[in-house]
Amino acid sequence: MKALVLLSDGRHPVSGRPAPAGTELQAIALARGLTEEVAGLYAGPDAAAARTALGHGLARLEHRRLPEGDDPLPSLAAAIAAAAPDLVLAGRRAGAGAQTGLVPYQLAEALGWPLVPDVVALTVADGVLEAVQALPKGARRRWRVKLPALVTVHPAAPVAASFAIGMARSGHVEDAPGIDAPQDGTALEERPYRPRPRLIASAAAGASAAERLKAATQSAGPGGRVMVDPTPEEAARAILEHLRALGVLKPAPGRD
Amino acid sequence: MNAASALSLVIVALAILLAVEAVRVARRWHVGRPASVDWWAGLAAIPKRYLVDVHHVVARDPYAARMHALAAGGLLAGSALAVLGLVPPLAGSRWLWALAAIAFLVALAGGGMVGRRRYPTRPARLSGGAFQRLPLLLVGYFGGALLVALDAVLDLTGPLGWLGLVVASLGGFGLVRLLADGPMRHAFAGALHLAAHPRPGRFEGERATALIPADLDAPRLGVAVPADFAWNRLLGFDACIQCGRCEVACPAFAAGQPLNPKRLIQDLAGSFKDAPPAYRGSDYPQARPVAGVSGPERPIVGAGALIHPDTIWSCTTCRACVEECPMMIEHVDAIVDLRRFQTMELAAVPAGAIAPLSESRYAEEPGGRALAARTDFAAGLPLPLIAEKGSCDVLLWLGSGAYELRHGRTLRALVELLRRAGIDYAVLGPEERDCGDLARRLGDEATFADLARANIATLGRYRFNRILTADPHALHVLRNEYPAFGGHYEVVHHSALLDELAADGRLALAAAPDGRLTYHDPCYLGRYNGETDAPRRLLDRLGLERVEMERHGKRSMCCGGGGGAPVSDIAGERRIPDIRMAQARATGAKTVAVACPQCAAMLEGVTGDVAEVRDLAELVLAAVEAAVPQGAPR
Ligand code: SF4
Ligand code: SF4
Repeated sequence: MKALVLLSDGRHPVSGRPAPAGTELQAIALARGLTEEVAGLYAGPDAAAARTALGHGLARLEHRRLPEGDDPLPSLAAAIAAAAPDLVLAGRRAGAGAQTGLVPYQLAEALGWPLVPDVVALTVADGVLEAVQALPKGARRRWRVKLPALVTVHPAAPVAASFAIGMARSGHVEDAPGIDAPQDGTALEERPYRPRPRLIASAAAGASAAERLKAATQSAGPGGRVMVDPTPEEAARAILEHLRALGVLKPAPGRD
Repeated sequence: MNAASALSLVIVALAILLAVEAVRVARRWHVGRPASVDWWAGLAAIPKRYLVDVHHVVARDPYAARMHALAAGGLLAGSALAVLGLVPPLAGSRWLWALAAIAFLVALAGGGMVGRRRYPTRPARLSGGAFQRLPLLLVGYFGGALLVALDAVLDLTGPLGWLGLVVASLGGFGLVRLLADGPMRHAFAGALHLAAHPRPGRFEGERATALIPADLDAPRLGVAVPADFAWNRLLGFDACIQCGRCEVACPAFAAGQPLNPKRLIQDLAGSFKDAPPAYRGSDYPQARPVAGVSGPERPIVGAGALIHPDTIWSCTTCRACVEECPMMIEHVDAIVDLRRFQTMELAAVPAGAIAPLSESRYAEEPGGRALAARTDFAAGLPLPLIAEKGSCDVLLWLGSGAYELRHGRTLRALVELLRRAGIDYAVLGPEERDCGDLARRLGDEATFADLARANIATLGRYRFNRILTADPHALHVLRNEYPAFGGHYEVVHHSALLDELAADGRLALAAAPDGRLTYHDPCYLGRYNGETDAPRRLLDRLGLERVEMERHGKRSMCCGGGGGAPVSDIAGERRIPDIRMAQARATGAKTVAVACPQCAAMLEGVTGDVAEVRDLAELVLAAVEAAVPQGAPR
């Protein structure tokens, strides 16, 4: 069984330095759980970021050289056709840089392979892949697909290996020209990465660690109410009250 | 032929046997890597290193010091005198045998003390097995030889001399048999270890606490199998006398984490032998099951090997074990060497360490935070950038604590004090990368080296007289570990600078009536850098009632925050900071003064009956503010 992990030209979201994308490293870890034969594939001008994946457990990286701005799709499709892997893994979505998160889908279409997005666990038996897919709110769904197939990896997958310089040194890169595919300047908007702020109540500045912990843990969330088998009227009233309390709806007419 | 000359012959025979055994022991070190050793200087220095440096450690336990002086001194003197009895003009000399009798009497007293310490009950820190039989053999050899000597002096008729000879021979033979794999190995290996010590600077008054850079071009990074250790490291492990002083000092052991430095050194001493003797001391707390196989080319760390990974990741690199070890063994070097292989070749680090190591590599900051955000703590305070000034007197190194709310308060106090004292200071701001301490202690030498070189290049662009930091970990790295990478700086801890400013009157202090206070020494300031006086002098200037915890100064106990232990987070039965806070409370102190962001974070994380945690800078600022009359211009 052969697995190929697609790598992107990642950037660290804060430092902006070449860095592997987290889900791609998790993809390497998942693939290594299935087979010894795991290689990386990257198409683009500069493999600095993709190379870092060697230190996270990838033994071999195939680099298809492309001029800046070219579409990597034809090169990737050709490389996959040549390597004939059973499974191709990719990260889930753009981490940084010019990543759209669409490449796995376009590849699946070009190759005519099934794609399971957002997987967190993989097993293979008799040429059939069993993938556990992460759904919102912790739900999971199990898929069975015949190989070859493509999967994208969800951040909830098991943690990736740390960087080991020894592995980075012994891994090797195969460099080959890609297939030039100039694209007309697509209108992309670039915005700086901003993680979503987490809402936690804060204690007064100068409070001790214990006080801050209390503030952060005690008042988390707006609270709520559990109603068991309410009548529709009761339920509607409770929802309206709640929305008014939040200020989403205007106060009830006719009162104060 | 009388009993006395027979004893002389027996001792010569024993000495020959001893030499054969010694060669066998020494040959086992051969599997190790070569090391450059200055043999002549080392051998010549043994007496001084023994009498000064070893004695300095041993004497902390006066009973043990006396016991050892009597037993070892008497053994060597008595045996040598007895052998002299073979020299014709001295043969049968009553004076000679009288001297020998005194020596053996002294030795017997020492042997008795060895026994007294172990019987009727053996303290937990001491090992059993052959160690428990040792006093019997000592008493046999010394007592028997004493009888022979008395026989020679007093011309006793009858079988007493011959009886003594038999007992002495049995005891002596038993002792020689304990050379290769028993308690007596420490004498031979210990002496050679003093001569061939991997850190000879320790004996020349150097701090010698900096980790030794790993050779990043080596085919294998770190230590995987015993043969990867330099031979004199293997020698060092063999020198262990299983006294258990390191065990008593180790915070991880006290917290019930699966680490016992004594057992670890014994495992390492057994690792390069095919059939090491059974260990009969206290085990790793909550010991994880391991296969327990040894051999020069067998892996050391792993569940299928000799030492469980949790053992090496429990260490806080506090150096308490090294400080206490009378055999001058370097536990921390060994642990970091083992970690280096796990981290740099296997990527086998504890889950909690993965993110800080990755962020250290890709964001040059273990928390993955923006370098420019390091100065956010100072909002409103003047914090000039050296890039704008070009040069300054004092360059303030902020460290990773600057991102934390707690240490931010300390740094605000420190900056305010610098401002009031009229110091010409500046910071690197967004140009300050992490110093690499965490990565290095976790065994990631490659990332550390990258960070060190980047920081040294940055520092090289600016002119400043000295670097000031409130973080002893950064202090140690910048002062002691960057020189190996070409960065030489004068680095001062804020306790020393504030003490200096208070001494020459640039900071006026008023007594702050703050009640009883105790000072917790940071490992990286006290043990690693020997700075235990300045913080105390400074505190005493504040006019507080300062009391000492039982463990303080260079023998202080760790807060649990070093060596990446908080991120490795190996579970124990208790928490190290809880133990330390209880020690602080036991003094009746209502405030515990700290001088390190890690200590502040660890000790402030303790709940329940706690003393207030204040950094020196905060205490000093309070005293300075109290000294300014209300409404007076500052
Ligand atoms: S390592 Fe040192 S302190 Fe620990 S038991 Fe051995 S000799 Fe004693
Ligand atoms: S350095 Fe500290 S934590 Fe590590 S083994 Fe020694 S005493 Fe224990």
